[in-house]
Amino acid sequence: MIMSLLFSRFSDIGPAVHVAPAGIFHIGSWVVTNSIFYGWIVSLVVTVLLVWTAHRVRVKPKGGFVQFVEIGVKFIADLVENAFDDKKVGRKYAPYFVTLFFFILFNTWFGLLPIVGEGFRVGQTPLFRPFTGDLNSTFAMAAVTMGVVYVASVRESGGLRKYFAHFFVGSPLNPLYFVIGLLEMFTDLTRVISLSLRLFLNVAIGEMVIAVFSYLGHVAAPLTALPFTLIELGIGALQSYIFVILSVMYLAIAVNHTQQHAREHAEHLTEDDQPETIGAVSVGSANG
Amino acid sequence: MVTFADAVNTAIIGKGLMIAGGFIGPGIGIGLIGGNYLQAVGRNPEAAKFLGQALIFVAIVELFGLLAFASIFIVK
Repeated sequence: MIMSLLFSRFSDIGPAVHVAPAGIFHIGSWVVTNSIFYGWIVSLVVTVLLVWTAHRVRVKPKGGFVQFVEIGVKFIADLVENAFDDKKVGRKYAPYFVTLFFFILFNTWFGLLPIVGEGFRVGQTPLFRPFTGDLNSTFAMAAVTMGVVYVASVRESGGLRKYFAHFFVGSPLNPLYFVIGLLEMFTDLTRVISLSLRLFLNVAIGEMVIAVFSYLGHVAAPLTALPFTLIELGIGALQSYIFVILSVMYLAIAVNHTQQHAREHAEHLTEDDQPETIGAVSVGSANG
Repeated sequence: MVTFADAVNTAIIGKGLMIAGGFIGPGIGIGLIGGNYLQAVGRNPEAAKFLGQALIFVAIVELFGLLAFASIFIVK
């Protein structure tokens, strides 16, 4: 009896799982999807919230939300600065990455509110969907970020020619180095896709997991979905951190590498080749 | 005549294999990263500051598991 009840429950229509966003209304011939609609709302809320916070930053913090934002800003700004060999370059690009971090963080966290998803519907489709749980928006974020990274790394490395030179280990005329360089360029292009897919899949699958467990819980849905919602809070913070640190690393690798090339080149011009490696090997063997 | 594809819902088998194969790799990978991180911290407690870098590699590895999970919605 109980078993049959259980199975009839499971043979129901199943949890509502959406992978793609759905259009909710039209502006002219332009479909507005639920994810971009929620993205607008969250952007507005976050802008107002962070401007309000920025006016309340004091030398002696009182704690609360202001200090939370302050810690986040300091954390990401330090991270960006420390990624570069030259701290000044890092400081120049810190504001963009801090903005990116808070944008992704708040969009992901606001996506966990109960109003998002099946709570409010327009016809059959949910009214709100987390902005980061949509491949279009994460792809746009990744494309803009990688655009900034490319422009910045070309500018910091001092010219297009030097930027492309950093892909090659040695002279591009060597066929092996040439192929390796081309491969490096190709992997560079896949970064947009991997960045966007990682964020989108984490958020969308988190939504699905919460939907599945609130469906399984039935009457006790808040209880069964709560642990997964808490996990999603952590995952949202982690994914926004990872999105930022990966894009910072892509920029830092290109900038540091070209500067290193330039330094090595300068050393070669000024000094003769010093057998530095021999010293390192002897130290290593002495320790071993 | 009933073919194998008619008798068995092959999509469900495919989804199961996808989940199985797609989750085992990242599972091993994340285990290796976490284990090696803890080993490094045990050897040299100052290595604890590399948690951020360990998490980056967890995220890189995790992507493939997520891709496998996402592709079960594509298989019909």
